[in-house]
Order: sequence, then C-alpha cells, then structure tokens
Amino acid sequence: MENADNNLILSVKGVSKSFPGVKALDSVSIDCRRGSVHGVVGENGAGKSTLMKILSGVYTKDSGTVVFDGNVIEQTTPIQSLKRGLSIIYQEFNLVNTLTVGENIFLGRFSEMKGMRNIHKKARELLDSIGSAISTHRVVGELSAAEKQMVEITKALSFNSKLIIMDEPSSSLTADELKRLFAIIGDLRKKGVTIIYISHKLDEIFELCDIVTIIRDGKVIDTKPIGDLTRGEMIAKMVGREIENEFPPRPHCAGDTLMEVKTIRTRKLKDISFELKKGEILGLVGLVGAGRTEIIRAIYGADKAKELRILINGRLADTKKPRKAMVEGIGLVPEDRKLEGLVLPFSVQANIAMASLPRISRFGFINRSKEKDISDRQIKNLAVKTPSPHTKVVNLSGGNQQKCIMGRWFEINPDILILDEPTRGIDVGTKYEIYLLIKEIAERGGSVIMISSELPEVLAMSNRVLTICEGRITGEFNPESDSVYDIMNAAIG
Amino acid sequence: MTKQLHLRRTQITGFVMEYLVFVTILVLVIVTAIVQPNFSTAQNFTNLMRQFGPLSFVALGMTFIIIGGFIDLSVPGIISLVAIITLSLVDTIGEVGAMLVGLALGAVMGCLNGVILVVSGASTQAKALFITFGMSQLYGAAALLYTSGTSMNRTFINHPMPVTSALGQGMVGFLSLSFVVFLCFLFVLYIFQSRTALGRSINYTGGNIVAAELSGIPTKRIMVLIYAICGFMAAVSAIVLFSRVTVTTPTVGANFERDAIMAVVVGGTSLLGGKGSVLRTMMGVSLVVLMSNCMNLLGVQTHLQEVLRGLILVTAIWLDHRRHR
Amino acid sequence: MNVAVHTQGNQIRKQVVQALSKQKAVVAIALMLIAMLFSDSNFYTQLNIMNIFRAASPNLIIAFGVTLAVICRGCDLSVGSVMSMSGIIAILLINNGMNMYMAMIVAALSGAVVGFINGFLVVHQKTEAFIITLGMGMLVKGIALQLTDANPVPTSRDKALAFMRISNGVFLGIPHIMWYMLILGAFTFWLLRFTSFGRNCYALGGDYEVAKYSGINVVRTKWIAFTLTGTYAAVAGVLLASRMNTGSAIYGDAIPLMVNCGVVIGGTSFAGGTGGVVHSFIGIMVMQLLRNCMNGFGIDPYIQQMVLGVVIVGIICMDCYAIKRKKEDV
Repeated sequence: MENADNNLILSVKGVSKSFPGVKALDSVSIDCRRGSVHGVVGENGAGKSTLMKILSGVYTKDSGTVVFDGNVIEQTTPIQSLKRGLSIIYQEFNLVNTLTVGENIFLGRFSEMKGMRNIHKKARELLDSIGSAISTHRVVGELSAAEKQMVEITKALSFNSKLIIMDEPSSSLTADELKRLFAIIGDLRKKGVTIIYISHKLDEIFELCDIVTIIRDGKVIDTKPIGDLTRGEMIAKMVGREIENEFPPRPHCAGDTLMEVKTIRTRKLKDISFELKKGEILGLVGLVGAGRTEIIRAIYGADKAKELRILINGRLADTKKPRKAMVEGIGLVPEDRKLEGLVLPFSVQANIAMASLPRISRFGFINRSKEKDISDRQIKNLAVKTPSPHTKVVNLSGGNQQKCIMGRWFEINPDILILDEPTRGIDVGTKYEIYLLIKEIAERGGSVIMISSELPEVLAMSNRVLTICEGRITGEFNPESDSVYDIMNAAIG
Repeated sequence: MTKQLHLRRTQITGFVMEYLVFVTILVLVIVTAIVQPNFSTAQNFTNLMRQFGPLSFVALGMTFIIIGGFIDLSVPGIISLVAIITLSLVDTIGEVGAMLVGLALGAVMGCLNGVILVVSGASTQAKALFITFGMSQLYGAAALLYTSGTSMNRTFINHPMPVTSALGQGMVGFLSLSFVVFLCFLFVLYIFQSRTALGRSINYTGGNIVAAELSGIPTKRIMVLIYAICGFMAAVSAIVLFSRVTVTTPTVGANFERDAIMAVVVGGTSLLGGKGSVLRTMMGVSLVVLMSNCMNLLGVQTHLQEVLRGLILVTAIWLDHRRHR
Repeated sequence: MNVAVHTQGNQIRKQVVQALSKQKAVVAIALMLIAMLFSDSNFYTQLNIMNIFRAASPNLIIAFGVTLAVICRGCDLSVGSVMSMSGIIAILLINNGMNMYMAMIVAALSGAVVGFINGFLVVHQKTEAFIITLGMGMLVKGIALQLTDANPVPTSRDKALAFMRISNGVFLGIPHIMWYMLILGAFTFWLLRFTSFGRNCYALGGDYEVAKYSGINVVRTKWIAFTLTGTYAAVAGVLLASRMNTGSAIYGDAIPLMVNCGVVIGGTSFAGGTGGVVHSFIGIMVMQLLRNCMNGFGIDPYIQQMVLGVVIVGIICMDCYAIKRKKEDV
C-alpha cells in the first residue's frame, strides 16, 4: 500500500459508523499530511469523537478504509494503535491519579520495562526532551491540569507516536499554559510529528492549524487550508446556516439593586462583595479554579462558608442551604449537568418538576395534573426536543438536557438565576436558544449571574462583568466600553 | 431473516433473564402444586398468610431505604432488641403500652442510624452498609446484655396478652389478622410513596442525591426519615414475630436483613436507587414466602434451603444490575 | 508580631494534627499499649504477645487477600463464610480418608472457586461488589451449615494430631501459623510492589477506564485479584481449623466486617488504588489489640461486641467525616 502518497500519515476513506437509530459517521474521508497541524472542528455530536474513537480502536467502523503510516488498518485496539504510533489525548485525561508520573507514562507496559527504576529513568529522559521538569515520582493526582497534559504528551512520545490527536486540549489551561502548549506543538511539528487538533475554540484553530476539516452531522463538509477560511465561514459551515451574530443583542433592563453580597469568606474566597441589580446579567470572569464556581455555590448554600452575609432587597437573607436560598428567590443551574443537575434515569417530566414539588402539592399530596401541566408548559416554552415527557432524560442530547434544568427553574421563576457554564458541551444552534432564554429572564425582570469559560459569550451577554482571580474580585468592567485586554488582564491578575 | 431470528432470540433470552427469579419460583410453585396435594389446601393457605407476617413488614420498610439509594443491615439488631424489650415491659406497663414503647424504640433506633449517616456525611450505599452493620452489632449486643444471653418466654409473663394472641392467631373472615394489618400498612405506605411529595422526594434522593439537594429537596431529612420508617417497620415485625410464638431470643432477628433485601430486589426495586415500589415488594415477599413454603412441602432440608435462598439473593442482585446498567 | 507567633503555633498544631490523623491506626495502637500498662493482666509477657499475633494470624491472612480486592476498588464480604466453609471441607475430607495435604489443597481451591464466582459477578457482570459479595457470603454460609448440619465438626481422633501440627507446630520459637502469615504477607507485599500484576491492580483501582485503554487486561487482573482474595480466605480457614482442630459454620460470622474495617483503619481506601499490605497489617492489629485489651480488662463479652460495633461505626464515620470536611473546606 505504498501507492497513495508517502506524504500522508493518515488517510481515511469513506468511513461510516452507525449506532442503533443514529448514523454517527457517513462516509467520512480525511487526509493528514506528515508534520502538519490539522484542525478538526464541528458542533457537539457532529461525529468528531466517534471518528477519533474509531481511529484509536475504541469503536470498530462499519465500512471504509483507514490507512495509517502506509498500512491499511482493519481492526485495532487502543493499545495496538498506540504501539503503531497513534496517540489520543482526551479531554478528560487518561491518567491514573493515584499512580506516579513515571508509572503513568508506562502504564500497561510494566512487564516490558523491567523494573521501576528503569521506568523512572526513561520517563525522566522523555520529560526532559519536551523541557518539562515534573518529578517522575510525583503522584499525578497532585499535578495541575497543564502538568497532566505534559505527562500525556510524554506518554504519547514514549510510544514514538507519529500522530497525536488532541481532543479539546485547551479546555482547562490558562492563557500562559496554552502558550507553552502551542510551543510544544510547534516543536513536535518540527520533529515530524503530526497533530490533529480538535477544538471548539476557533481562535486557537486559526492560530495553530495549517489545515482544517469541518464536520457536521457525521459528514465532512470541507477541508481547507486555514488561510482560505474566515471565522464567519467556518461557523456557517459548522452550523449549516449563516448565523449573523453568534449572540443575540444583550438586554438593558438593569434597575435597582436587588442583592448585595456583603461578604463571603471561605478558605479559598477572600472577602467577596458585590451587588446585583434587578434585570441585570452579571458575568463572572476568571480562569478555571479562580473561585468563580465557589462564589456562586456559597451564595446558593451548596457549600459551607466561614462567613456569609447577603442582603436581598435590603434585608439579611439566610441562604445556608439550597432549600433556604430557593425561598429567598435564588436558583442555580449547576456546572456539571449530569452529576449535579439531572436525575438521569428519570423522565423529562420528573426532572422538570423536581424543584416544584411544594407548589404542586397540597397537604403533602402531589397533584399529578399540575405536574403534567408544568412539564408540558416548559417543554413547549423551551422547545425541548423530546419524543414525550416520559422519555428518560438520559436519552436526550446535551442541549436538551440543559433545557430541562433551565425549565425546572423557569417554572419557579426565581428573582436571581445563577448559571454556571450554561452552554458547556452544547452545540452552536442550541447555544443561541439558551442565550435567548437568558435574555428572556432579564427582560421579565429577573437577574442573572453567569459564569462561562468562553470569554466572548460572557462579554456578549452581560451588562456588567466582575473579574475573579485567586479567590478575590479584581475588577469590575462594562463589557460594552472596556477593552477585552483589560478584562483578561484583571482576570489573570 | 437470520438477523430477525437472532433479534428474537436475544429478546427471548433478555426476557427470561429479566424474569428468571420470577419464573423459577413460579415453576417451583407449579411443581409443588402437582406433586404435593397439601399445597392447595385451606390449611396451607392460612400457613402462607402467617409466614407472610414478620418478613413482609421489614421488607416494606427496607423498600424505602433501597429506593432512597441506601441499605440497612441493622434490622436484625432492631428486631431482636424490640422483641426483647417489648416482652419484658408487658408486666410493668401492660401489653399495649409495651407495644407502643417497642414501636417508638424501633423508630428511634432507625432515626439514630439515619442521623449517624447524615452527621458523618456517609452518602453511599457501601458506607451505609458498614455503619448499619456496626449499629446492628450494637443493638444486638444490647439485646444480649439485657437478658444476659438467655431467651424470654411469653408463658412466664403474668399479664394477659389478648392483643398479642389475636395478632398471632386471630382471623378476619378467611384472612389472618396479621395479614390484614399488613394490607393496611401496604395501603398507607403505597399512598405515601406514590402520591405524596415526601414519597416522591425519596425517589429523587435515590436517583441523584446531589441534584436533589440542589433542587431544594431536604435530602438529609429524607435520609433520617427512611431509616426511621425502616426501624419502625422492623419493630412491627418484632411484635408480629413474638405474637405467634411463645418464646423470643436476643438473636431472633437474625437473617431478616437478608430476606428483606431479597424480597425487595426480587420484587424488582433496584439496588441502584430511585426506582421501585411497595407493591413490587409485596410481590417479592409473596415469591419468597411461596418459595419457602414449597421447599418445606417438598421436604427440602433446612440448611439446603439456606443455600437456595442465598442463591436466589445473589441471582436477584445480579439480574438487577444487568437490567439497570 | 504576636499574630505571627500565633499563626505559627497554629500551623505547627495543624501539622501535628495532620500527621496524627494520617497515622491514626498507629496512634490507636500506641494508646492501647499504654492502656495495657495499667491493667492487671499479663499483657506484657512474651507468651501473650506471641498469642496476640497467633490469634491475629488468620485475620491477617484474610486481610492480605481483602487488600488485593480493595486496591482494585472492590471489596469482599464473603471472606468470613469462605473461611468457615474451607475449614469444614478440609476436616470433612480428612475424616473421610483423604490425604491430609490433598484435603487442604482442595479446601483452599474451594475458596478460589468462590473468589472466581465473585470475580465473575463483580468484574465481568459489573455488579456492586459490596452487595453481591454480601449475598455470596450468605450463600456460602448456607453451604457450610448444610455440610455440618450447623454443628461444629472435629477432626477424627486418629488424624487430629497430625492435622493440628500444621498450625500449632513451632519453628524457631514461633508457631507455624505465624510463619504462614508472614510468608503470605511477604508474598503479597512482593506481588503488589514488584510485579506488573500488582502495579496493574493499583492502576485499575485508581482509574479503571484509563487502565483499560492503556492496554491493561483489567478484567483478568481484577478477576484474579478476587480469586486470590477467596483463596487467601480459604487458606486462613484451613489454618484456623487446624489450630482449633474443629470446623464450624459460625467461625466466620464477624470476620468480613472486622477485616474490611481493619483494612480501612490501616488506610487502604475503598476509593481504590491506595494502601497495601503494611497498612492492612497495622489496621488488623488495631482490631486484635482492642479485643486483647478488652479481655485484659475483663470486659463482658456482650459489651465487647457492643464496643466493636461502636468502633466499626466510629471508624467508618470518621472516614466519611474526613472526606466530607475535605470537600467542604474549599
């Protein structure tokens, strides 16, 4: 099979894959040149991860051919792919937190390595080769996200990988760390290693990649050199329609002060105080781990605080527990949809009515028709795509699951709705719908506190932005007039 | 064509696997009915109802614990201690008074379990398993200590015990009184579970305790509540248990936790939490009781019955995981 | 200035508390040893100390096995029943004229079979280890009851002496059963520390999916671990039967929770991927010393059971509470 092109490290032709009821990949073809950085973009559920999992051998393809490094690959397993020189670095790291760095790098190959001392020696050499000083004896659980990524890259190198696929590598990195990652990717490219870079963040794709492939609904829409595409075109191809704006125009409804956070103190948070106006959308900006989520969880009573003083409408509010916070008119759409938001094996109806139990029951007895009314109303109101209210919520897509949680709170209609990463892992189309819903809350006179790791999103939606760094509020900005640079600067600290 | 056939075959195996325990017991019953003419007599029917007694009450209580996503191994300790203390109090405060004290004691011990779990922050089934086992040791030891290890005989009690005798022997029409009491409990708990906000909250808690807490459901109170219900129902069991026999020992509650869990799981309530109902448990108890009845009639040795019961338990848990995963 | 001193003092105190809480098993042992100085019993005699270790040996052997399961993020609550059953099987086979060593091997294999089935259910069928092994324990106890009709079975008189020598013989001043314990402990230590099987156990206990995608045969590894756990329990059962010269279905009743709690006290976490043989050794010794302490002070056996219940609840609660505090202390 030396026929095609020795310049190609990977050649995928007509690969299809079906799951019961879904065609995940429809005759997908991609060619990757040696030593290039190849971007792959697409909405969530477009089929990127399915393709990657076929390449790595987690799934088997239904049809089509894959040629890697001149060899036709029929069936493979993750470990075989690794040994051939194809590594994948997943978004959630594939590292064992309780083992050391060295053991992780040579995980699954202990018997080949002949002793722990040899493992640590080899690991040291590899880490040095990418300029990382992490001790091989440290336990991985104690490392930062960036350090873990270095370990992952080292692990890929230990297999002499020719192709490294990175799935959303930047999602938990700070700007500085991202720069270092880009430098390492540049180094690898010089050494002839090919990188496939999957990301939602188009800025990174434009900065880093040579070629980009756009996937939508299981099909390859286009593959073009990065210079031939504009941002707008790329988004249009991902979504399948021209979106004029990624965000709806922000509402301007801010009125009187509704909530004053006088002080929040925990071990991580230091004297947080700010206020929130009626009808206002307040954005919290900061790096992952800066304390954004901790602030809102403390306000909502989900975590204990050493000191917590909040005034709502000028009156001292008791929000020590979520239940009490709800009585004070606060709602929370939590960060992790599946772990903290939904009861996955329960129906859409049960998930929507979850927080409304007191209002649909009299003398402790549930009024079932009211329960049905609530879920019907919210399914319609939020356009939740579900076959029936009795469908298990686990069977819905991420966006529709998120709408179920939003619906839960829309029914209660709290004065203050806190949204933690409301659009994480949701496709572009549904994102827009969620922005409209957020806007609707503000227009009805409700206040919103919004956290998002996607800076453009917060900046476009909020009336006011607070920057948070290392547990402190470091600045207050007006996203319409202040520069992104200043805001980012305050967030980095 | 072959694919269709294959599909049908997997469907059939899936069905059989799902109802394996059910089918096995049904087959056992049918075989017994054919082989043993004694099975379908009025006498045996009364027997069956009697056997329903103690186990059914604990199983009802255990249902709430399992739906809530937890487990309670303290049942043997609670039953033993309640039985001993209630009987010992009959002479001093009268029969009904002693029963009320016993029931309250059961609820309090259950509450204590729940409170310990809440305070220590144990939110998984595994931790609940260890802690309630420890509590069972504690309650059981208290029962042993109370009687210095000896048993307690009803016939030595000077006070007349009409209520106890009625509960043990009485009939309402063709139903035994204890069975009627069970039906009343079943009705009340069914309504509680399916119609009330509190009952629904138990399901939410079992389904996802974190999400439930964040949606304003008082999960900690729910935890205490379900353990209190289970403790109370165990106390009811204890009373029904000594109402039928004349003697009770400080270890009388042994194995009740196993049989209760078995009945709940055989009935189809999932050990993974969130799903199930007391009606299913009623079904499960029926199956378990029928099974022992049939084995007795067929003359299976007592200890071999233990083995088979263990086998049914393991199979039921295994199938539950297959179904819900 | 004053403030600085104050915070420094605080920090030192914090560090001490942290260090102690990490080594709480060692602290517990130290406290009990000190307490025994004030009892009238002959605790601090060579004979008694030897006795403590000898009595702890079967539990320790089981604990080494359970450690394997727990490191793989499993748990085995059937070990007590397996222990009872294997002792009974060994004695019954010997009484029926089987060669003694052959009988012991068969008995040990019976544990391997139960462990294998546990492994099948937990690893292959992905059931919850706690609950399914609890059920298996009940099943196996049923078998033990059936085999003995719920009576203790002694070895027949002509073979008793030879059988008893297996555990009770003395080599270099140390009873055989302790030697077996030490050998198995050393073997397990080596297995976990230096073999790829052991390291793979830690890997899959730490993160099952990652281990799987790294090419570790996770199913086989964990399955073997469970089989070994059952085997260890059966070996302990045979040795105990030899020490007591009797097999009984109720020997193992309190064992599973005792041993699992001991393992946890030692610091092997149910979260998987941590701990080891030394941890478990210390943990079990805490439980054993507690029993000896109570005996030393002449405490009523029912109260001892009560104390044990309290200790189990207390220890698991402390574990939970520590996790909870850690989570809250953000």
